[in-house]
Amino acid sequence: MTAATPGNGPGSGPVGPLAGVRVLELTGEHAQFCGKLMADLGADVIKIEPPGGQETRNVGPFLDDQPHPERSLYFWHYNTSKRGVTLDITKPEGREVFRKLAATAGLVLESFPAGYLPGLGLGYESLSENNPGLIMCSVTPFGQDGPWRDYQTSDLLHLAAGGQMASSGYDPEDVPDAPPIAPGGGNAWHIASHYAYIAILAALYHRDFTGEGQYIDVSAHEACSLTTEGAIAIYLSTGEVVRRHTGRHASPDESPVIQHATKDGGYINTTRSGSNLTTRRVKVLAEWMDSHGLAQDLLDEKYQDPAVVEESGQHFAQVLKNFFANMPLVEAYEGGQELNFPWGAVRTMDEIVGDPHLEDREFFVPVEHPELGREFTYPGPAAIYNASPWRIYRRAPLIGEHNDEVLGGELGLSKVELAALKKSGAI
Amino acid sequence: MQVDHNQSPKRRKDQPLEGVRVVDFTWVRAGPWAARWLATLGAEVIKVEWPENMDMLRLNRFTVPPGVEPGPNSTGQFADTNAGKLGLTVNVRHPKGLEAIKDLISVSDVVIENFSSRIMSRWGLGYEELRKIRPDVVYVSMAGFGQTGRQHYFGTMGPAAQALSGLTHLSGLPGEPPAGWGWSYLDDTGGMYGAMCALTALRHRNHTGQGQHVDLSQMITGITLTGSAFLDKTVNGRESRREGYPPGNRTVWPGAPVMNNYRGPIAAPHNAFRTLGGGYNDWCVIACLSDEEWTRLAGLLGSSGWAKDSKFATLEGRLEHQDEMDRCIEEWTATLGKYDLADVCQAAGVRAMPVQSSEDRVENDPQLRFRGMFTEVKHPMLGDWKFQGAPFRLDGNKVAVKGPPPMIGEHTAKIMGELLGVSREDLLQGYEDGVYWPETTPRFDYVQRAIGQEVER
Repeated sequence: MTAATPGNGPGSGPVGPLAGVRVLELTGEHAQFCGKLMADLGADVIKIEPPGGQETRNVGPFLDDQPHPERSLYFWHYNTSKRGVTLDITKPEGREVFRKLAATAGLVLESFPAGYLPGLGLGYESLSENNPGLIMCSVTPFGQDGPWRDYQTSDLLHLAAGGQMASSGYDPEDVPDAPPIAPGGGNAWHIASHYAYIAILAALYHRDFTGEGQYIDVSAHEACSLTTEGAIAIYLSTGEVVRRHTGRHASPDESPVIQHATKDGGYINTTRSGSNLTTRRVKVLAEWMDSHGLAQDLLDEKYQDPAVVEESGQHFAQVLKNFFANMPLVEAYEGGQELNFPWGAVRTMDEIVGDPHLEDREFFVPVEHPELGREFTYPGPAAIYNASPWRIYRRAPLIGEHNDEVLGGELGLSKVELAALKKSGAI
Repeated sequence: MQVDHNQSPKRRKDQPLEGVRVVDFTWVRAGPWAARWLATLGAEVIKVEWPENMDMLRLNRFTVPPGVEPGPNSTGQFADTNAGKLGLTVNVRHPKGLEAIKDLISVSDVVIENFSSRIMSRWGLGYEELRKIRPDVVYVSMAGFGQTGRQHYFGTMGPAAQALSGLTHLSGLPGEPPAGWGWSYLDDTGGMYGAMCALTALRHRNHTGQGQHVDLSQMITGITLTGSAFLDKTVNGRESRREGYPPGNRTVWPGAPVMNNYRGPIAAPHNAFRTLGGGYNDWCVIACLSDEEWTRLAGLLGSSGWAKDSKFATLEGRLEHQDEMDRCIEEWTATLGKYDLADVCQAAGVRAMPVQSSEDRVENDPQLRFRGMFTEVKHPMLGDWKFQGAPFRLDGNKVAVKGPPPMIGEHTAKIMGELLGVSREDLLQGYEDGVYWPETTPRFDYVQRAIGQEVER
């Protein structure tokens, strides 16, 4: 695969499905992932950072563990394929440049506190005055109104308020008195970004037919609150609140264990195969286990009665537990999959990086960092679009890397004007 | 831009996807959730089912409210996951059923499915087949491992996909088994991505006239959602199985080397604490992302004075004395209700929120109530039922749950007759022949009524 290089623009190579959409991104952790998705799908995303760079550049991990705004792997991960300019919109001359840029844009993606941009005279009504097709999407913790509108949050806080923590944690037998657990990875902002993306694409669709832009108000809290699968439906249906279980669905009742330790110290997740078996599949499973001498009583004729299978979930879980305790992880996981059991090994990046299936799908993308003289492997697309690729065009922008190209070349500011902006600290 | 919607219903601009027709072959959660968002945005979504191989959520006995007659139209979880769709029953393994489905696809914009890879092709409904009858069709597949790659036939459900993607390992306390995600996060997320893929390919079609096949993998979706964990491995060579990782709700586990856990900035305090009442979900979280925020919290911690100790003044000090600090904070949080605690903290500029259960979000969350998160819609079996709304507002379009989910096969007669012009005679013959309903399965009253047949009493 050819490496993604800084010269790659939306104009080079095959055209992504969002080609032709120019995005001005003024956001850090809240919605930078939405901007990345759009950029990797072909939009021209211009990240506007304050002079000196955005604070997300100070979030680790860092290249070789050396903190530096150009070495943040966190920033790298979330800002692929974007171009970067610096602009101080708190200064009048910065605002003037921003207005000119917004006149060329199809979308402004921002996550300032509610009311901040309108307070600077840069609200949607003002920016869309001469650009009626402009879409503006605000991604904030709670939306633009309501009693919690001005509350400060973080990923952890959203996973608490959104219900993720109330569903995640441990059985008391595994860890007594365990707190509710907030799963990692920064997913509150991912969830918000996904819904922001959906809303933006809906607005783009509307614009394709009407030419009209519009303003979008996304609430991270609502997005998270929507993302606990059955917990709300269970409450609405039965009045019961789910309880946390190790490595499996929270539920109001006791449920069979589905995550088991393997012989080599790993863990395997059997989804619901311990409780959702048909008689035929019990037989398939039992024969395989028997070939390892570990079927216990599962070949017994009584398990060919669906009613017995239905009530034996806990027993199957016990037999499986013993089976896995005697099997290495990969053999158990792949062996199960070959027999059509939808099991999953609990993997880490140690196993994922280099996985041949992922290689087949060209998931591992080489990305050049020419200023370092190095090339690194990035995680690529989750989907293969057969007519318009989802791909990483290039690494995240350096601070102000595209000031001349965007503000000078494309916006037409003269060298003198750019120098003046630089002198006043506006770029 | 090329737009040709001669075959689609008349366009009206009150909902953004008005005029888009979706043939929805999906089942269980991820796929139906994807199509549910397309419906909520205004698309006409036709859910294709067959009663002998029922969508598992129709059988979910945990969400049948007491007093409601159990059955495939009575589960709360199916209801919210399929709100606003139309219901078609047709046997695609019957030649006439396959023909009917192809007729439907020829007048549709999107086909979406989440079967194991290549099942649709086996039925003669793969992308190459469908583009012959609808050249600009947007075809979204949502298999666990995708349609290509050596393990494409591996199956996943949410928990397995989460395990394989690295998401499960990110969740838990160090030295304990992975806690994982207490629900199918990758079904919820898979649903969002299914909708995103359909919308993205529609956008491409609007501008080029070209349809396409989008081959999404649920498991791979999860890998990118581990944040910078991937780059920490490929760039820094960091091992994931290491001391103090994952650090629970903290950013760094006490005593472990200080390194990033991929959630965001390193901070302390950053934890869950018990609150007044001591109930199962009487917890709050507090995070101080700067020394200033800590100083404000210390001001609230007040009279005891421990928090003023200079050893807590810096992040380094707070990480070093994290256990002691967290213990002392919890002595204070245990004296306040979780909502009061969040309000007191937020008023002082300290980041804190309650841990909210499902009940809390439905009954006690003032923000969700203010924003109208739940909409009551009349459901034929469940009565007035609360449906979850969109987490965004568009000021130029309406976005709303259009109606209840379909009862199985509820709209077959309407779709076949009004949309595809099948005569009443042929329709009845199809019902007799097992094309629109299994010959041996009793038909529901509403099915009988829809085809003008006697309802047995």
